[in-house]
Amino acid sequence: MPQPILRLNSISKYFGMTKALSAMSITLNSGEVHAIVGENGAGKSTIIKIMTGIHQPTSGTIELDGKASIITGPQAAREAGIVAIYQEPMVFPDLDVAENIFISDNSDGLLMRPSEQRKRASALIKRIGIKLDPSRIASGLTLAEQQAVEIARALSQDVRVLIMDEPTASLSAHEAGQLRKIAQNLAGQGVAVVYISHRLEEIFEISDRVTVIRDGSHISTKPIAEVTSDGMITEMVGRGFSKYFEKAASTTRDEVILEVRNLTLEGVFENISFDLHRGEVLCMAGLVGARRTDVALALFGVMPPTSGVVKFKGQTTKFTTPRAAIEAGIAYVSEDRRKLGLAMPMAIKSNVSIVTLDDFLSPLGLLKGEKERKAARHFVDSLNIRTPDVETPVGMLSGGNQQKVMLAKWLNLNPDLFIFDEPTRGIDIGAKAEVHDLIRSVTAKGGSALLISSDLPEVLAMGDRILVMREGHQMSILKHSEATQESIMLHATGQRQETI
Amino acid sequence: MLSRIPPQTLRILALLFVLVAVLLFFSTQVPNYLNGRLFNRISSSVAIMALIACGQTLVILTRNIDLSIGSVVGFVAFATGSLITHSPDIPPLVLAAYSILLGACFGVVNGFFVAYARVPSIIVTLGTMALFRSALVEYSDAKSITTNNLPTWLVEFPNTQLFTIGTFQFRAAFVVAILVVIAVHITLSRVRPARKLYAVGSNPEAAEMSGINSKLVIFFAFVSAGALAGLAGFMFLARFGTITVVAGLGFELKSVAAAVVGGVNIFGGSGSVIGALIGAVLIDLIDMSLVRWQLVSEFWREAVLGSLILLSVAADAILMRRLVKWRVSREKKDAKLEVQA
Repeated sequence: MPQPILRLNSISKYFGMTKALSAMSITLNSGEVHAIVGENGAGKSTIIKIMTGIHQPTSGTIELDGKASIITGPQAAREAGIVAIYQEPMVFPDLDVAENIFISDNSDGLLMRPSEQRKRASALIKRIGIKLDPSRIASGLTLAEQQAVEIARALSQDVRVLIMDEPTASLSAHEAGQLRKIAQNLAGQGVAVVYISHRLEEIFEISDRVTVIRDGSHISTKPIAEVTSDGMITEMVGRGFSKYFEKAASTTRDEVILEVRNLTLEGVFENISFDLHRGEVLCMAGLVGARRTDVALALFGVMPPTSGVVKFKGQTTKFTTPRAAIEAGIAYVSEDRRKLGLAMPMAIKSNVSIVTLDDFLSPLGLLKGEKERKAARHFVDSLNIRTPDVETPVGMLSGGNQQKVMLAKWLNLNPDLFIFDEPTRGIDIGAKAEVHDLIRSVTAKGGSALLISSDLPEVLAMGDRILVMREGHQMSILKHSEATQESIMLHATGQRQETI
Repeated sequence: MLSRIPPQTLRILALLFVLVAVLLFFSTQVPNYLNGRLFNRISSSVAIMALIACGQTLVILTRNIDLSIGSVVGFVAFATGSLITHSPDIPPLVLAAYSILLGACFGVVNGFFVAYARVPSIIVTLGTMALFRSALVEYSDAKSITTNNLPTWLVEFPNTQLFTIGTFQFRAAFVVAILVVIAVHITLSRVRPARKLYAVGSNPEAAEMSGINSKLVIFFAFVSAGALAGLAGFMFLARFGTITVVAGLGFELKSVAAAVVGGVNIFGGSGSVIGALIGAVLIDLIDMSLVRWQLVSEFWREAVLGSLILLSVAADAILMRRLVKWRVSREKKDAKLEVQA
């Protein structure tokens, strides 16, 4: 009879005014693999962070072994036997496997006996059910092996609840299989395993029960035998929720501006082929790990592809630097504002002029301050950027306004092709609508847009056509008329594939 | 066979190989080169740098750097000298303990600012380097310590021959330095809490998640480096006797060079104090040999030394990367064979 180990009772979590979880209840039983599924942003990571003590719930209670408990922090979680492992393993690359496993273990006293330690490591590795030499240095291990090391570390600390968050997202099929076997082995030994994955076939393979969550709310928990993939997806995307954006009329023209054939970056994505017309919005949909951003970076010259043909404005091109792509007329609006988008401490005007700085120089090569300010003021007005003046550092603005500054710097370039990478992530609904209007006005004037988005309503509202990717593969290109949230999810999770 | 040896051991072997190569090269260039006198000279000069490089290594392992270490050596040497000048009756061990403690106090200052105030170590120690040096100028009143005022036991200590092997003389200062380095090495490789230095430098986030108190570890590294610099200051006083306000100037960079040449990763997480010791020996050996090499003028010595440092570090980086790649590909091949079998 499975024993409940950890129980979340009606947990809610707010970050400021934003609701991340509402009345979430989940029970984890020993010896059971419990899968949690949901769209990007459904609240899966918040659940993990509450279970591991990184976040405290705003309301609701947690029960450990039937007793009401408060998990005060990561250390307390570890002492209670709750351990999470992630897609990116937490190992010490310079230490060997055994040292990694026993890094915070003091049981055999002050002096280390390396051979003894290796023996104990071997025993743990055996329990996991894989082969691994405990004297190997961690930096030479594959990702799957590093994750195994983390699991062994958890075992050495008597893990009772093992949370695996997208553990197989960056693994090869063989390695993923290994890891799934480990998860099942541990469940067989009485550990409560929480398994979070976008690969639905994995969930059917290993889990005993499945919980579906959506928009921070619990939708259902069922034994796996009572679940079908179509039913699960319907629950994940939900029915009849507010259509907050209507699809506007297409402005697609006949001329093909970008022709991509069999674009491949070895080990990352392969055989991506599509046409993009002038005035068209082509959305790229998919889940985490679908490699959509990598395709964008390949087109933009950041990571030159290993093979395939790209024709831009009728000419075969091979961009090897972003500079070359920019000069040809391509703009890439990154999903990572902080790292790849804006110079946060610099003024709005300096961020706006940075891509097209040459246009702001006098014949002597000096910066024309007034021209720069004027350009910045123009965008502050036309994009409705809320700021006291154009001298304000971008870092002082709200997320939505930062996003608009980032768009402004690329609008200056007047590019033929705009690549938008998650342009509305983390900004409020008003700013979202403004960004959508801006994308439409760009395409109405004859520009083209490649729009990467994980927000399905946004994909349906913006995309004239929708290219669905999954783990580096192109699954299908859907016309707007044939696309629904369900059909996109079916392709994105690999339940359907069209021959293209 | 090569894949069985851990990379750290391989590094040390490579360093020893380079050391022998340098010896052989200069023996063809400089008449009367390989003899006991060369050993005696190097061993007495490296004794001080070995201790400093050892402390520097502890700090670098945690992804930090201590640029104040030369100023600490200078200050401790002067302060110890003036203490013994005023009270000549202090017993030797107490005097050494005073030096070590004083050095550790400077380490406390550095450690506090880096670990607890979260100021980057390069900035903290750049500041304290100047501060400690100025403190020395103020404290010394621009006067010098001279050998005449020091007790004989102190002045004779570094050159006391403990034992000889052939024409190789093992002098007290050198033997003490070697013993300290070996003790630190054993601590680092065998005493459990010392693993935390490597863990913090290797992956700070994972260290924090594993319940390691990174702040305390970094603080401890700076205090230890200070203590070792204090001991080095004591040895500096004993060896040179005459201490001015510029004592120990430039030691900070030389100690970083020794550690890096010795295979200590400047980004933290890997390296050994034995490597740093060999690095210090290598730099000293090359420096001394260049003086005696007719082909290279005095002015080019620094340049040759600098190039050698660059070369050794670049070669190390490239070789290690190759080695890791080669091993991974070999393991993949092995895995495939296993599947087939």
